[in-house]
Amino acid sequence: MKNTIMKDTITKYTHIMALLAACTFVFASSALALPAPTDEIKPTLNAIITILLDPALKGEEKKTERRTKIMAYVNSGFDFREMSQRVIGKEWRELTPEKQDHFQRLFTKLLENAYIGKFESYSGQEIQYLGERIKDDRAIVTTQIENNGQFIPIDYVMIKKEVKWMVYDINIEGVSLVRNYMEQFKAILRRDKFDGLVKLLEDKNSTFE
Amino acid sequence: MKSKKIFLHILFMVLVVTAIPAVQANAGVKNDGSDEEIDSFFEQEETFDPLESLNRVFFVVNDKLYYWVLKPVSTAYTAVLPQDVRLGLGNFFVNVAAPVRVVNNLLQGKVGDAGIDFQRFLINSTLGFAGFGDPAKEAFGIKAKPEDFGQTLGVWGLGEGAYLYLPFLGPLTCRDAVGFVGNAALHPATYVLTDFPEEAAYTGTDKVNLMSLHPGLYEDMKKNSLDPYISIRQAYLEYRRNKVLDKDVKTNVFREE
Repeated sequence: MKNTIMKDTITKYTHIMALLAACTFVFASSALALPAPTDEIKPTLNAIITILLDPALKGEEKKTERRTKIMAYVNSGFDFREMSQRVIGKEWRELTPEKQDHFQRLFTKLLENAYIGKFESYSGQEIQYLGERIKDDRAIVTTQIENNGQFIPIDYVMIKKEVKWMVYDINIEGVSLVRNYMEQFKAILRRDKFDGLVKLLEDKNSTFE
Repeated sequence: MKSKKIFLHILFMVLVVTAIPAVQANAGVKNDGSDEEIDSFFEQEETFDPLESLNRVFFVVNDKLYYWVLKPVSTAYTAVLPQDVRLGLGNFFVNVAAPVRVVNNLLQGKVGDAGIDFQRFLINSTLGFAGFGDPAKEAFGIKAKPEDFGQTLGVWGLGEGAYLYLPFLGPLTCRDAVGFVGNAALHPATYVLTDFPEEAAYTGTDKVNLMSLHPGLYEDMKKNSLDPYISIRQAYLEYRRNKVLDKDVKTNVFREE
């Protein structure tokens, strides 16, 4: 009698253990196999497009609301820390965390000022996803978009972070956004040091207001 | 007159000589979808800008020219001519330059692409009302395969040489400056238009028309950058390097996967 109860309990435990093991396995494997880079960028871009086409969010008076919503999605798919690190280069590691954060805020603001306005002329053109390439922890997602009868190639350069692929550069017609700023900042850092660069960025951002 | 000719010869020699040391620079870049190709996507050649201080002077000159001459002219032009007409005119300018594309495709061994551009030229010159329309693309889906002599030189392994920022012409590498001469030799306008004012008017209209179709590009770049000179230099160099590497081909590689 006692023996059967024992047996039952053991079977029960084995089942639970098996279930737990199965769960762990499923979770572990889902963590190992990240979604493909294209599958990461697509929902982000689609969400931004939905906001841009939303009639309730159109117009100058909705600008702040619209941009806040767009930036929330941009932040989930674009890695501004990585971008900031890359545009500064070697000197990044010598900066205090406060200075790094401050720079990241300024640089993100500049990109927002400079490029979100560009999105706003978007009128529903289809983004074509042409393919992706992965090498180690980096990937390129190739897309194109039609504008006035011409196809503009836009590539998203991504990096693998713990749980997902994040965009850290955009190449339009082969011209890299991050590299463009990196080259500009290189000369400024040499001449005016980090504090000079911060000053210039603050001045630049104020010209957009 | 004679001194002008000598000056041009000297300029040409300088351009060729400065381009030679970089001959090897991109000879090793492959375009077969291998690891090397993906690496070339992340890594860039060093920028060679020994004339930076002089270039920056011309940058200021062209900037003034832009705001004092080009922009007012383009604004008036845009106001007078509707977009259809400007697009048509843009097609016309592209169509006339077909020999440049056909010959350079051949020089790069792209016989098929040369045929495509030749076909486009025949269709657009006839069905497209002397090139103002683009039925080759719109009705037949045949797209241009743009190649110029600067790209041909790059494909042949000639390095880009020093970066130049010239009055009126704007950004150029030495390689593209040599290419510019080669393109002119292949362009029908060089033979049809005989005197300088005619050629200047032709080129001027081409540029103003192009600018009217892409308004604000230069001003945007200036507004978005902390150092417009470097921003434009970097964008120009990467754009041209990409053309030499044939991004179109690269995109096809991506598409097959």
